[in-house]
Amino acid sequence: MKPLKLLALIIIPMGIILAAVPADKTRHFRLTADELLQEAGAGVQFISPDVVADMLVQKDPSLQLIDVRTPEEFAAFSLPGSINIPLSNLLADEYFDQLNQDARTNIFYSNGAVYANQAWMITRQLGYENNFVLEGGLNYWFSNVLAATEPAQTSPNEEFARYDFRKSASAALGGGSIVTVEGAAPVSAAKKPPVASKAKKKAAGGC
Amino acid sequence: MGPLAPYELISENTNFLLAFFIGIGFGFILESSGFSSSRKLAGIFYGYDTVVLKVFFTGAITCMIGLLLMSLFGWIDLDLVYVNPTYLTSAIVGGVIMGAGFIIGGFCPGTSFCGAAIGKIDAMVFIGGLFIGVYGFAFTYGLWEKLFMAKYLGEPKVSDSLGLSDGLFGLMLILAALGMFYVAEWAEKKWPRPEY
Repeated sequence: MKPLKLLALIIIPMGIILAAVPADKTRHFRLTADELLQEAGAGVQFISPDVVADMLVQKDPSLQLIDVRTPEEFAAFSLPGSINIPLSNLLADEYFDQLNQDARTNIFYSNGAVYANQAWMITRQLGYENNFVLEGGLNYWFSNVLAATEPAQTSPNEEFARYDFRKSASAALGGGSIVTVEGAAPVSAAKKPPVASKAKKKAAGGC
Repeated sequence: MGPLAPYELISENTNFLLAFFIGIGFGFILESSGFSSSRKLAGIFYGYDTVVLKVFFTGAITCMIGLLLMSLFGWIDLDLVYVNPTYLTSAIVGGVIMGAGFIIGGFCPGTSFCGAAIGKIDAMVFIGGLFIGVYGFAFTYGLWEKLFMAKYLGEPKVSDSLGLSDGLFGLMLILAALGMFYVAEWAEKKWPRPEY
């Protein structure tokens, strides 16, 4: 038999099988309370401030920061590139496309992590993917990332690496001189990020 | 169950080891299909040799059928499979540059290493050009950054934009590929060229 015919005999039936069966039968639209409790308990929704800082410095276009505080608080200070979706308006129609999508990584933040977590809970219960929470919120962001303190001399090397990263990230994000949360610091997008990413990037394919 | 590395069923190092062996296999298949000859590769653009079309389309179809069937049986979670994100502008610009380089140089990056491995001098020169391009891009990244990051679309799928199920689109792609193979073999018979 000719190779092309043999190939056709094998792959056409396979294609028909694939076309005939419904895809993703196992995916739930809504999570059960048990599943949600399990996810919340495992903390899968949290993204560490260092990862967010790295994405900001790298200008990762998949990152979408969402401020769930009130518009007044948002006007006073917000992280670069973030948009404001107040928690009370979370379910408004205008935000639906923003919250239920699979192109971007949405990261909720508030002053602490409570409001952001509530926003995550609600959207997750609705079955939306790609929503996360900035771990520790803005307070932790200010005290630990923008105003990183040098670790003790006896600290492990990772501590120093993290400190170096945070110092350069804070310089790149224009937060070097921030003292207080109320400062409403001018967060100007930095021009040249001096940060070398520690995170391993996945290898891209190609021929 | 899968993918293996994100589920930590195998370690990162085992993953690299597997990639090493798969890479050797890939290089071996490329070399034995004649991909280390720049004339054979450029043939696809002039129409006298369609092995590039056949090999890469067979690869894509095999991979597609494998992933979809394995996902059907619950062996692999397609949400965890890494998909290169789409930046529309840089994909188009990069495609044009890559295509032009392919015609001019007669190699694509992978096959140039195949050619160099069997001592082809044009392949070595091509690799030199490849590094000039890589360093040139890296050192002038600031100039390109806007273009590079423009029109980010996430990870779109053709089947989603057409509103078809993955399986149905898969079947259509299989039929399209078989049609192309048929036309390609017919064309090769109709306008034969000596093997290089």
